[in-house]
Amino acid sequence: MTTQDTTSTRSSMRPWLAAAMVATVALLAPSLAQAQAASAAAQRETMNVGDEPGRISTEETIIRDGPYARQLVFFRSNDPPGTLVIHTSERFLYYVLGNNRALRYGIGVGREGFQWSGLVKVSRKAEWPDWTPPPEMITRQPYLPRFMAGGPGNPMGARAMYLGSTVYRIHGTNQPETIGQSISSGCFRLANGDVIDLFSRTNVGAKVVIRHSAQL
Amino acid sequence: MKHRVEKLACVAMALGLSACATVENLTPTASRSPASGSYETLPADRLIGKWGMASYREEKDRARTERIARQCRQPYVIAKGPTDGVMMHVADDSQQYELALKRARDGKTYLGFATPPGDPQDREIVSMTDKEMIMRFVDPDANTRYGTFIYVRC
Repeated sequence: MTTQDTTSTRSSMRPWLAAAMVATVALLAPSLAQAQAASAAAQRETMNVGDEPGRISTEETIIRDGPYARQLVFFRSNDPPGTLVIHTSERFLYYVLGNNRALRYGIGVGREGFQWSGLVKVSRKAEWPDWTPPPEMITRQPYLPRFMAGGPGNPMGARAMYLGSTVYRIHGTNQPETIGQSISSGCFRLANGDVIDLFSRTNVGAKVVIRHSAQL
Repeated sequence: MKHRVEKLACVAMALGLSACATVENLTPTASRSPASGSYETLPADRLIGKWGMASYREEKDRARTERIARQCRQPYVIAKGPTDGVMMHVADDSQQYELALKRARDGKTYLGFATPPGDPQDREIVSMTDKEMIMRFVDPDANTRYGTFIYVRC
């Protein structure tokens, strides 16, 4: 189960938790193809990042409990510290710390047909990014503004890290209960408090590895 | 006969739009609109048309939000209603309703159902000209979630 906490208290780090599982996945992970979208439909200027724009999630919201809580884990990797490794099928994002350690964050990922894999870099970072609902969302919810400047009700959440030249981003959310689910159009979402933490650690140019699924 | 109903001088202040309400050239009409009641209704014809629609929360974002609304991407279409109102949406509801412009005793103008002006489902008209309208939801929750709307005529 996943719960959220609206306090500003950071989650406690639990070193070496789930070490065996993570190590196994890291060792057996597949080689990476170049970044490519899984679906042509996912290639659009805007993103469908949820069905409830306007909902509020404060920037302090973090995942406190359960597997999707931010935590320090054993993570065997040859990638340099600062690399982001996303395991779509596990709904985890790893921030590589080096020395076989990583910070693990729970994420929401693309729904079926909108998941992808690749190797990209963080091309840009933005605080409280703007949001442009995609046309199909406007069709379903015609009362939505066609552009929403960044803010607490914005589905893009508190921070965004843009992935290369793709339309995809790692961003916050105003729906933290969707962490661990697959409902986006290919973006990766974290609770606002968690994405703020990740944002503060991540530099523009950071390597981002997206693994669609672990192959055992 | 048209006359200027209301034109309040806007004073730049930290609260931004909340202190600036201008609705030009609207003439009260007989209560034949969907908002008939013991208050004035105003002709809503000038709302009819296609509008670029965007929202913002902080005053610093207003200018660029206005520029984006001016691009008229996926314009919001306001049509004339069966009576004197216009067909529009309310917050969080994909159904269109006939809404009317209503004048409150304090001079503020609202857009909404046949309820007294200032109803929680109303929008407050912050400013309105032939080319641009600025509105916000009366309901504090909806206002917080969606921010202030700018409509720019396409």
